[in-house]
Amino acid sequence: MTLEVKELTGGYGQVSVLKKETFNVEGGQVVGLIGLNGAGKSTTIKHIIGLLTPRGGQILIDGISLHDDVEKYRKKIAYVPEMPILYPELTLREHIDLTIMAYGLDHDKTWTNATKLLKTFRLDNKLDWFPQNFSKGMKQKVMIVCAFMTDASLFIIDEPFTGLDPLAVNDLLNIVEAKKKAGCSVLMSTHILATVQNHADKFVLINHGQVRADGTLDQLKAKFNMQQDSNLDDIYIKMSHEDL
Amino acid sequence: MTNLWQERLRRHQLDQFKYLRLIFNDNFVLAFIVLIGALGFWYSNLLGTIHHQLILGKPIVILLLFLATQVGGIATLLEEPDSTFLLVKEKEFYKYFKAAKNYSVFIPIVTLALVNFLLSAFASRAAGMKIIDIVLIAIGLIVFKLGSLNINLMALYGQDHFGSLNMRLVSNILLIVSLISSTYFLSAIMVIVGVIYYLFLNMRVRPLETSGQLQWKYAIETENQRMFRIKRFYNLFTDVPGVNSKIKRRKWLDGLFNFIKPKSSNTYLYLFARGFVRNNEYIGLFLRLTIIQAIMLCLIDNFYISLIVEMLFIYLVGFQLKPYFKEVMQNLMQRLYPISSKDKIASFTKLSTIILSIQWIVSALAIIYKFGLSMNGLIIIVAGALVLVFVNYFYMPRQLRKYLN
Repeated sequence: MTLEVKELTGGYGQVSVLKKETFNVEGGQVVGLIGLNGAGKSTTIKHIIGLLTPRGGQILIDGISLHDDVEKYRKKIAYVPEMPILYPELTLREHIDLTIMAYGLDHDKTWTNATKLLKTFRLDNKLDWFPQNFSKGMKQKVMIVCAFMTDASLFIIDEPFTGLDPLAVNDLLNIVEAKKKAGCSVLMSTHILATVQNHADKFVLINHGQVRADGTLDQLKAKFNMQQDSNLDDIYIKMSHEDL
Repeated sequence: MTNLWQERLRRHQLDQFKYLRLIFNDNFVLAFIVLIGALGFWYSNLLGTIHHQLILGKPIVILLLFLATQVGGIATLLEEPDSTFLLVKEKEFYKYFKAAKNYSVFIPIVTLALVNFLLSAFASRAAGMKIIDIVLIAIGLIVFKLGSLNINLMALYGQDHFGSLNMRLVSNILLIVSLISSTYFLSAIMVIVGVIYYLFLNMRVRPLETSGQLQWKYAIETENQRMFRIKRFYNLFTDVPGVNSKIKRRKWLDGLFNFIKPKSSNTYLYLFARGFVRNNEYIGLFLRLTIIQAIMLCLIDNFYISLIVEMLFIYLVGFQLKPYFKEVMQNLMQRLYPISSKDKIASFTKLSTIILSIQWIVSALAIIYKFGLSMNGLIIIVAGALVLVFVNYFYMPRQLRKYLN
């Protein structure tokens, strides 16, 4: 699996939030998408999953764009939004069934995966609950289960750690690790730098809708002329001070 | 504080006008006129059949007047954030509520005057009441209602009881007793009771200004519910943002969904069918319109009016289902599903066909009940079927496609 974002320009309405962004995500890679509030992280993600149409540039997954084959493109992606989005009229069990139908997944095999995930997040005894009975963190877990039980090859997670309890954060990281071992890629945007520093292979730093820098932690240190013992926090702060 | 009230009221009224304009722009006006016409027709027919006083005449008048007196409460226009931002102003809220109460007298007065006016024909014919009696009772009821608005105000402070007795219950008992005695004995009783009741409650409410403790949670919840009822009403005719309706599990209806085969092209049917059955808003709308239609068809024996009612109501249900499609389409996740919009539209039309067919069968039974298996009855039933076909095969797919593009 490879995701290629080439010279991506786009945004909402007439305003271009993103200006010629270029970066790659390779198979078996966990990539952190990092930037200040309003830098363009979520906008980038919305373009990749196809909720927004680029004004310029290209987004390719395994060489095909959304335009080439909508269904094939969409089946490769699983997405966990920043704010959980559920159907108020469906129970947890029905959300899983619906996802299975929508993506044409194998019923029994997917349910085996789903049950494992539900157990991990302690949701397996809440299958008949409606979303209105779930807390925000639980809703987030439902979104994670529905995304990670699919056989997508690219997992996109927007701000996954806020709202989750520490145990769940740890569980999510294990799931991400397992997907990575299986050759899938994960792109996650986050502000929790300490966590992402330990678990991502590569970072894409976005500022004002442009890719300021990307690479491994060592490569970033070199680019920003930082000392050997500095961490992602230091780099981030240095980047945000560049504007001043 | 009164400035705050004025400001809120202005905004509230602007909102109301916006919605009323939307309602009266729609095909609804037509339905409304037909409905009023049909009811008027039925009422005058009914009056024509009454030639002497009925034993049930007075009890019916009492019941209807009692129900009419229940209409209307205080519109406080409180908002959720008030309990955080205006908490410090709690003492001054009494003045705000006073202003709210003064504004809220309008709907009860109009309702009572209108009901009394419409009922007067029946009251004089079937219950043998004189016009002066009806007028006196109307005045008494209005004064009584103005007094009872104080109970709504006291409830905001958790003071709506005498000791352990619920004030609303006590005042309703008083209302029934005085209605009975004023219709059967002396109509002035209602006026006297009304005035005493009004003065008494006005006195009781005064101490709240200095010693009352506002029940924020109750007050805001009550207002939210009131708003929700209004918006749900508007929502029958037009899209109202922010109406999140109640969801009920209705497990006993799960059997209905067994007919939906779990395959990819049925994804949306799976979703739409469950949503429709469990979302009170849409199933409620369907049931309300279907039942009203069936009752009207059972009562009216005029061929043309029945024909219009049959066609119009089937069209209306189809028309009112559209917002449900839009509501589901606003969910971000479903836009990511690898499913074509053709399948979405096909699923929704399938659902609407099933719903309208049920309505059509119910209405057909009502028509057969009234017209028998006559030519006229058959024509009406066939006309209904034509509307059904029109909505599901022409109107609905086009509208949905237009929306998705």
